[in-house]
Amino acid sequence: MKVGIVSWGAYIPKYRIRTEEVARIWGDDPLRIVDVYLVDEKSVEGIDEDAVTIAVEAARRAIRRAGIDPKKIGAVYAGTESKPYAVKPISSILVDALGLSNNVFAVDMEFACKAGSEGLVAAIGLVKAGQVEYGMTVGTDTSQGEPGEHLEYSASSGGVALIVGRDGVAAELEAVYSYVSDTPDFWRREGSPYPMHGEGFTGEPAYFRHIIGAAKGLMEKYGYKPSDFAYVVFHQPNGRFPVRAASMLNIPMEKIKPGIVVTHIGNTYNASALMGFAKVLDVAKPGDKILLVPFGSGAGSNAFVFTVTDVVQERQKTGVPTVEDMLRDKIYVDYAQYLKMRKMIKLFD
Amino acid sequence: MKHESVPIYWRNIPQYYRLVAKRCKKCGAVHFPPVVRCRCGSKELEDLELPKEGKLVEFTVLHQVGTDFLKQKPLVVGLVELSNGVRVVGQIVDAQVEKLAPGAKVEVVFRRVVADGKHGLVMYGYKFRPVGL
Amino acid sequence: MKDVYVVGGALHPAGRHYDKNIDDLAAAVLDKAIADAQADIEALFVASSTAELGNKQQLLGVYVLESLGLDKIPVFRIENGDGSGGAAVVAAYHALRAGEYNCVAVVGVDKPNDVLSNQQQDIYATTLDTHFERYFGFTPLSYAALMAKMYLKKYEYKYEDLARWAVLMHAHGAGNPYAYFRRPVKLEDAVNSEVVSEPLRLYDVGPLADGAAAAVLCNNKKKDGPRILSVTTSTNAVGFNARNEYDVLYSLEEAARSALKKAGITPRDIAAAEVHDSFSIFGALALEGLGIVKRGGALAALREGDLPVNLSGGFKARGNILGATGVYQVVELAWQLMGREFKRVEGNYGVVHSMGGVDRVSTVIVVGL
Repeated sequence: MKVGIVSWGAYIPKYRIRTEEVARIWGDDPLRIVDVYLVDEKSVEGIDEDAVTIAVEAARRAIRRAGIDPKKIGAVYAGTESKPYAVKPISSILVDALGLSNNVFAVDMEFACKAGSEGLVAAIGLVKAGQVEYGMTVGTDTSQGEPGEHLEYSASSGGVALIVGRDGVAAELEAVYSYVSDTPDFWRREGSPYPMHGEGFTGEPAYFRHIIGAAKGLMEKYGYKPSDFAYVVFHQPNGRFPVRAASMLNIPMEKIKPGIVVTHIGNTYNASALMGFAKVLDVAKPGDKILLVPFGSGAGSNAFVFTVTDVVQERQKTGVPTVEDMLRDKIYVDYAQYLKMRKMIKLFD
Repeated sequence: MKHESVPIYWRNIPQYYRLVAKRCKKCGAVHFPPVVRCRCGSKELEDLELPKEGKLVEFTVLHQVGTDFLKQKPLVVGLVELSNGVRVVGQIVDAQVEKLAPGAKVEVVFRRVVADGKHGLVMYGYKFRPVGL
Repeated sequence: MKDVYVVGGALHPAGRHYDKNIDDLAAAVLDKAIADAQADIEALFVASSTAELGNKQQLLGVYVLESLGLDKIPVFRIENGDGSGGAAVVAAYHALRAGEYNCVAVVGVDKPNDVLSNQQQDIYATTLDTHFERYFGFTPLSYAALMAKMYLKKYEYKYEDLARWAVLMHAHGAGNPYAYFRRPVKLEDAVNSEVVSEPLRLYDVGPLADGAAAAVLCNNKKKDGPRILSVTTSTNAVGFNARNEYDVLYSLEEAARSALKKAGITPRDIAAAEVHDSFSIFGALALEGLGIVKRGGALAALREGDLPVNLSGGFKARGNILGATGVYQVVELAWQLMGREFKRVEGNYGVVHSMGGVDRVSTVIVVGL
């Protein structure tokens, strides 16, 4: 029973701010900041964009790439931590913006940066159970970072949508494994505009423990070894963490590198690992195995193994913009424009 | 304008989100915004979702705007001809104005249009964005 | 069918009348017009574009009458956007032609300065399709700019050619004691003014101003008042996106053709015209729509010298008093034919063009001595 990724769609807003421009404002040494995080620049949403519009763009591209009737999608999940509304779903906006039927399971999910990938698990479950023909999950964020705080150097905007089904599978799901614990490395209280985090505590006890826990757990349970994978994609809060996680798992650099996007666009939170995954799918060949391990603070990881099928070649030729296309298509903004676009200037409303 | 009507927004969602037009079953004319009677006299109209790509006919950069757009000015607005020949007016976003010219290829995108203050509804809709510029 | 004459009139200077309520401002000019006509009025037609949205007053006519202590007079509120004034004159004209009344008054009033400039934009934009044009940020200015851009390209004019409109309007406005701006400007001032929606600059935009105008119309001639020879209102029910051409005022073309025919005159007989130049490009297109110059020829004609158009100064110098403007235009034109307050024009026929929205509704009124 072949179930897996039928199609993918990614969206990166066109605007970028360079790390050195942010560092200029806050008196940091840009070379040191780039060296610490390996983030050269990050994506910034336009003034009329938010997690909803980004999700719609990514989802439309996924549908276009799949060439399916949107009315056949029976479940839609949005994973985000930058909802424009505290109460009112993104997923229902997706239903009407994408022209889905009204007979659709829809919910917004929250688990820091992992929610979008948890939506993938839920969609896979419904497809496997025969409850829906296709399911969709979208990881979308316009991530927050307090101005002047180190999170600001990476928190960025983007979205990735994945369509799951049985027909026309481009990347078949082989295994999935989760690893979750109460680890308070990063949080945002109700009504608070910016998240808090534990600096170094976000590393060992949080990111590495859960990523490694999920990846190792999966490999042990299902009998994979690092050499089985053509590509490995981890959550990318910065450029250093995924590289170190790879070395901890004895995964060679060349398998990690194709899925690294954080250097060019920053951390798109719910779209972070999925953006790397989409970038890999843009170039993967039939037979390639991909290990995908997103991470959400608080904390948890899902590890997935996909095997790329022949269908991928057809999907790669649809003219839908690739992640690589979007990494190149950019307009630089300065810090003042960035504040305006992110609506961080205090205004009358 | 503050306190935009929620029912007005809601009932126009098919147009705002997906450019749902009316096509005359008799003469084939396509009407956007939708009408209740075709110029040929027929009232038999069906929904038709307009294509999502087209080309720019003309544009201007508007500096005097209403209250909803004060913090977004200047607005680039223009007339777009979609690939099936139907023309639609709308905002042009993510554009480097100096590179914009009639004939430029554009795609339909989904964007925020109006936010009703800090606590009210966020209203979305179609806009156009240049492709490959 | 009875004839209709302009028997009395009054204008309030266009400006920023922060000290007057909308009903009192209208009442003051209405009182003057009635005194000028020396006639009792039997009905009041009220033209305003934004009394409800901007000044928060419905039933405006009743409050105007209350301010004057006039009781039991029927009131009719006419709203055709910024073309309300012309439409109210048409309604009054029809009532008189039918013999329902002998004398009626038309009062036009708008007070855009009771709200902030960006709220004025909000309200003016409700003359557009509120769901598919205003919602997305369009304003009348944005459409005027698109039309100007296409017109200038099509007929290979330079921006400078369009800027001459403002220069001419200011030259005319200098002779109008009721104008908002009564000073001439230089071409370089217009050409160097700030861009508001390219190619249009500040001098291409008629400034919104507060004001009121009243006319008393009767079906018997009194004193030397001119006669309204014909009126026609026509509409353009085609959205901006679906129009065939963008260098035509469709609503005007039909109104002009019909009104001139009914009056039995040709464009060559027009000694003076007051046209709806809320934006310079509309003034140019109105000259063409009325048949005074050929299509695409307005700016070339402008280059060659003075034209007997908008001797009031038009929207640019007299001011854009929104729905009141059409009433201003009728009184101004009557006075131009009579040589009252204005220099007498050489000829016996004049036309008014009053337009609502971006070529959505046009009224043409032919006045003759």
